[in-house]
Amino acid sequence: MIQRAEVVVIGGGVNGLACAYNLAKSGMTDIVVLEKGYLGTGATGRCGAGIRQQWGMEENILLARESVKIFEQLSDELGFNTFFRQGGYLILISDEKEYELIKSTIPKQNKLDVPTRMMTRQEIVSFVPGINVDGLLGGAYCPTDGTAYPYAVLWGYGEAARKRGVDIKLNRTVTEVSQLDRGGYRIVTNEDTYEAPIMINVAGARTKDIAAQLGINIPTEPHLHEIAVTEAVKAFLEPMIISLKKGFYFSQSLRGEIVGGIGDDHQEPTYSNASSADFLFKYASALRETIPALGKIRIIRQWAGLYDMSPDARPIIGTVDGYDGYYHACGFSGHGFMLSPIIARLLCERITTGETSIPIDNLSLSRFSGGTLVKDPYVVG
Amino acid sequence: MPKTILCHCEDVEIGELYSALAQGYGDIETLKRYTGIGTGKCQGKCCFLQTLRILAALKSGAAGSGGTEPESVAAGRSPLKSGAAGWRAQRSEAAGSRPPQLAGDVGAIRVPTLRPPVLPLRIDDIVDGEWS
Repeated sequence: MIQRAEVVVIGGGVNGLACAYNLAKSGMTDIVVLEKGYLGTGATGRCGAGIRQQWGMEENILLARESVKIFEQLSDELGFNTFFRQGGYLILISDEKEYELIKSTIPKQNKLDVPTRMMTRQEIVSFVPGINVDGLLGGAYCPTDGTAYPYAVLWGYGEAARKRGVDIKLNRTVTEVSQLDRGGYRIVTNEDTYEAPIMINVAGARTKDIAAQLGINIPTEPHLHEIAVTEAVKAFLEPMIISLKKGFYFSQSLRGEIVGGIGDDHQEPTYSNASSADFLFKYASALRETIPALGKIRIIRQWAGLYDMSPDARPIIGTVDGYDGYYHACGFSGHGFMLSPIIARLLCERITTGETSIPIDNLSLSRFSGGTLVKDPYVVG
Repeated sequence: MPKTILCHCEDVEIGELYSALAQGYGDIETLKRYTGIGTGKCQGKCCFLQTLRILAALKSGAAGSGGTEPESVAAGRSPLKSGAAGWRAQRSEAAGSRPPQLAGDVGAIRVPTLRPPVLPLRIDDIVDGEWS
């Protein structure tokens, strides 16, 4: 039996549930979300939880700033504690080139009301207990950046969406997608079949595979990134600490664990979620070098997840010519969680009104058809 | 009613599990993230099997299917055979040119292996190779 819906959202990650919630809130009905496993099986449940506004491109600064505004009141809006905490992001600067880039970018961020400022080595020493500042030239600190618990954000959106009538289906793997002659789409899963005039493709690193079935070519690649978590220790670390140069970051969770990761430039595209010993050594070494006292604590777990990397590390959002009712949001390149509240809101505006309050045309798939691609220099990992 | 502690590391009482189940958080991976069971120092060695038994009983004996299997168990814990370098080489050799797999191998481990309590490794041990 074919089930009819107004909207089918493919992907029960934070972007999918936030889209479903926003659409239901705007008055749309008959919305179905299809998730291949449990909520957050993919990148949402595996991400580093960071939310930052320190970016190089105006477009990213603006999107992140608006996302933070939503995060600031999201627990109240959803009636669910997202554990959003604004401990700031401290970017450690380790060479002249990076110093110049960051120094020249801060005014751009300040102009857009993002309150980043430079920190001297001395300030860093008093701000971060036990930090080793050897080889550092200083840092950049934005106090309104922060972290949230990804699962809580996801469940919050999920519960609020359910309350508004959204039907969330777990354990549904999409096996076949096709465009109907009369308009709309047919979506077949391992369990059931749906037809809907509107289809939203937000399946993380699998978005391109689903799009390919419709003849849409999305030039993203799945890249494996790993994270490790330590046992909980007394709260001592206020900000998320990152190094753009090393692709390294860590923060302390509200439970006291140190959670972080480090990038690997040499990875081949893969759909594997396997953890590696190489990562463990590389990350443990970087962590101990940054805060030597952390050598005494234990790493209790590591895991991996996929970045859906786009050629310019910027998201791919919106519509595709010739595919009425088709929308996608992918290619987040490691920044999907932090951008999800604003991206979902904009996509919902696009679907319900045909326009968006912040322009997203520059993020359309068509940018890869020609012209020069611009990459944000603040990308990590 | 007396309290029954399900997860000693994270101090999760059995009622919290039932409460989560009642709210629709029904599979082991989600229950872990929602209640905190299995996320402490022992990483599920003490509570996972018991939780899986409860889930299996609730699913009318459907153990091993539909969300009662954990995706992975934690790895990289002492006691280990030799130093870090030896362990690393051994793992790399087994895995060929790919970095060795520690966890995340879906379906490879269906029930957490029960071992005597062991401690995860210190960062110093990982970096310096003093694994014992």
